[in-house]
Amino acid sequence: MFRGKVRRHVEAIATGLKYLVKPNRITVYYPEEAIVLSERYRGMIHYDWDKCISCGLCAMICPADAMKMYRKKGEKKARPGINYQRCIFCGYCVDICPTNALSFTRVHDVAFEKLDEMLYPPEKFTSEWRSPAEERGARRLRVVFDEERGLKHVPEQ
Amino acid sequence: MSSSVMEARLLEKEGDEEVYEVFIGPQHPASGHMRLIVRLEGDVIVGVDPDIGWVHRTMEKLAESKEALKAIPLLERMTIIDSQNVTIGYVRALEKLLGVEPPPRARYLRTLLSEINRIASHLYGMGLAGIFVNHSTMFMWCFGDREVWIQLAEELTGARLTHSYSVPGGVRRDLPQGFKEKALKAIRYMEKRLDEYHRIFFDNPQVRARYEGVGVLKPHEARRLGVVGPNLRASGVRYDARLLGDYGVYDELEFEIPVREEGDAMSRLLLRGDEIRQSMNIIRQVLDKIPEGPILAEKYLRLIPPKLREPALKEGRIKFPGIFANLKLPKGEAVARAEMGHGEIFYHVTSDGSKKPYRVRVVTPSFRNVILFRYLPPGHRFMDLPAIYGSLDYFPPEADR
Amino acid sequence: MCMGLVSSLVRLVLSPQFFGPIVFPGLVTVLAVLLSIIWVERKIAARVQMRVGPLYILRPLGGAIQMLADGLRFFFQEFIVPETVDRVPFLLAPVVAMSFAMLPFAFVPLAPNFKPYTVPYSMPAFLGLNTVIPLTVLAMAWGSNNKFSIQGGIREAYMTIAYEAVLFISAYSMALLYHTLDFAEMVEAQKVPGILLNPISALVFFIAMIMSAGKLPFDIVEGEQEIVAGPFTEYSGIAFGLTMGIGYVQLYGFTLAFTLMYLSGWEPLVAPLYSIYPALGGILLFVKAYLLLVFIVFLRAVYGRYRLDQALRIGWRTLFPLAIVSVFLSIALGVIGVV
Repeated sequence: MFRGKVRRHVEAIATGLKYLVKPNRITVYYPEEAIVLSERYRGMIHYDWDKCISCGLCAMICPADAMKMYRKKGEKKARPGINYQRCIFCGYCVDICPTNALSFTRVHDVAFEKLDEMLYPPEKFTSEWRSPAEERGARRLRVVFDEERGLKHVPEQ
Repeated sequence: MSSSVMEARLLEKEGDEEVYEVFIGPQHPASGHMRLIVRLEGDVIVGVDPDIGWVHRTMEKLAESKEALKAIPLLERMTIIDSQNVTIGYVRALEKLLGVEPPPRARYLRTLLSEINRIASHLYGMGLAGIFVNHSTMFMWCFGDREVWIQLAEELTGARLTHSYSVPGGVRRDLPQGFKEKALKAIRYMEKRLDEYHRIFFDNPQVRARYEGVGVLKPHEARRLGVVGPNLRASGVRYDARLLGDYGVYDELEFEIPVREEGDAMSRLLLRGDEIRQSMNIIRQVLDKIPEGPILAEKYLRLIPPKLREPALKEGRIKFPGIFANLKLPKGEAVARAEMGHGEIFYHVTSDGSKKPYRVRVVTPSFRNVILFRYLPPGHRFMDLPAIYGSLDYFPPEADR
Repeated sequence: MCMGLVSSLVRLVLSPQFFGPIVFPGLVTVLAVLLSIIWVERKIAARVQMRVGPLYILRPLGGAIQMLADGLRFFFQEFIVPETVDRVPFLLAPVVAMSFAMLPFAFVPLAPNFKPYTVPYSMPAFLGLNTVIPLTVLAMAWGSNNKFSIQGGIREAYMTIAYEAVLFISAYSMALLYHTLDFAEMVEAQKVPGILLNPISALVFFIAMIMSAGKLPFDIVEGEQEIVAGPFTEYSGIAFGLTMGIGYVQLYGFTLAFTLMYLSGWEPLVAPLYSIYPALGGILLFVKAYLLLVFIVFLRAVYGRYRLDQALRIGWRTLFPLAIVSVFLSIALGVIGVV
């Protein structure tokens, strides 16, 4: 029994040494590198002004009450605006929009400096989203599944 | 008065010089979101009082104030690491009320995500078991390997943890291209890693000395206390909510429910490893046997105009029919159970015919396992308390809802 | 006159009595080792654990001066002294602990004729000075007036009883083998390294060394998962830095002792460096001790923490008989006349 214990101590130390010599790091050196997210990632939402028919379904189904319809004085139709403080990126609004006016972008790492900046009335809602890391020239990496290392991050071709 | 308030209160009451209280309070490196009031006699624990409720977010009350569909992302946040299994119970209860059944392909996809989440949840639990004896390598390895499964879930649903995948009637996204190969690679990687966990953690004599024979839970005690999940199965009681046949396709697949007899902390941890292997087995079968077909029930699919429906289905997603925004629940009650990584979760939804449910009652597995904090530690030494805590895989936000 | 002052100053610094305890391997080297070994520990643990560790301070060097940044931060942090503590032990104990952790370096010889203090009993003096540190830890625990600290202090008391006797017995078994109590003469007597002559004693000293310094798997005294930081809970700012460093300084001292007794110290002497300045000739002593330090620090990535009674059981049921056996082994080898 004693010899079994010693053998298991040695095995544990050997496993540690194996990874000391050949580490398997999965760290992504953000913001010098940034991961290109998958096709259907639920990132920040983009709103297409022309496709919207003002049905209001997105505001009705939003679980976090982040989408609200804004109606300008004198106009008949209301348009949706979003409050990113409340948005949980569940995607119900995108899924229910009958004209595909709402869509997901693949940007997730946006930072806001003031709380007011997180309110997006309809005009602001149409703006394009750019990832801050990529604007600063981050190297784009893709996630690849690998049998030996689990996840590998390879440069995007 | 001020000086007596400032003194450390070592004695419980006069004449009780033997016993003193330690608050493993919420402000503690290893207490989680709860407080344990431990009464010690020297080094031996004589009583533990779990003080829970620090993360109470009134989820049941909030679910009453939201329309039925909107409560799915809410209830998912009870146990965000295991989000499919938490919501599937609620969705099944809604489906029973609405009288809609998901198509076969949707049931297979739900099972697939359930098992991926179960693996991620068990890895989380094993990581906690590592850090509670200060074995930081096990902690980091488990959380690093969890990334593989979270990446798989992200490719399937679009979000890493907050899937919101099931809706009444089916699921929201279909399998992407190349998913099966990625999943098989992940499975082969995980099998190698489980062997390495054994070499560095489960067979490590020091870890075995900490966990073996500690916190033994006898089968009749487990049944009497109402414990669920791997804690129950490690004591020899074969109960798993997946066998009830209420959700998923578990009756069409071949898998085992691992059961261990010893009932101590080590067997609880090893059981989680066994369950990971079984889950990988289930994932393989699901990916082999999944049938073609729609992923949302016909009753709702035909409500979507074809111009909208066909392109979306071709892309592998669905659009919600407009009725989802104000879904009226018929009057009645429905009960559903699901098996999470931590144990069995139970939903009871009562509706009075309006859009919002009248009452949503949820009993989470961690809430049922809290009682073990009271009954297992007494008689053990003080340093066994983190070992017992780590082996139970207790998740405070889920217990407090 | 000025030249005379400078030259006498240089002669003072280069004298063994000053150079040993203060420059190498004493105070200055101890601080350098302290700064580097914690960084090495974090990087090693990170390599094993699929991550990177500290990186961004001086990025080209891989974050090597991270601990310097941490140390500077400690100087700027507020040192909070709670109102309910017993001020004298609370404030004095870390200082006394660190001083007594640094004192033993006065007895470590560096090269054949380069001893700070020429005493015939440097080994017992070295070990004896290290035994004051658990008393200061008890003072810290008592002075903190905190239940967690008292728990930590009790654990320190138990652990001390477990490993001190074993440490001394295994060291004395080597003294019996080499027929001397002086470190320098022990190195001279090692034609074959001590670890091959008496491996049992080496193993016992190694494990007792880890127990003494409180490194995994025996970091029971500062068990974060149960008692926050044990005796060191109430310390913040620079005192926290001191208490964190005591274990490492003790460990460094012990690895030097281990190298001198078991790994034939500074042999083989680096002759060209020896001719420049005697202390530099013994550079291999430092290198071997540092490598041993790196290995002990690597064990953090492999082990968790033993329970208190399990550690005591290891000390008394496993190590104590082995220590006795090593004494008899030494006596037998001495009678045969191996050394």
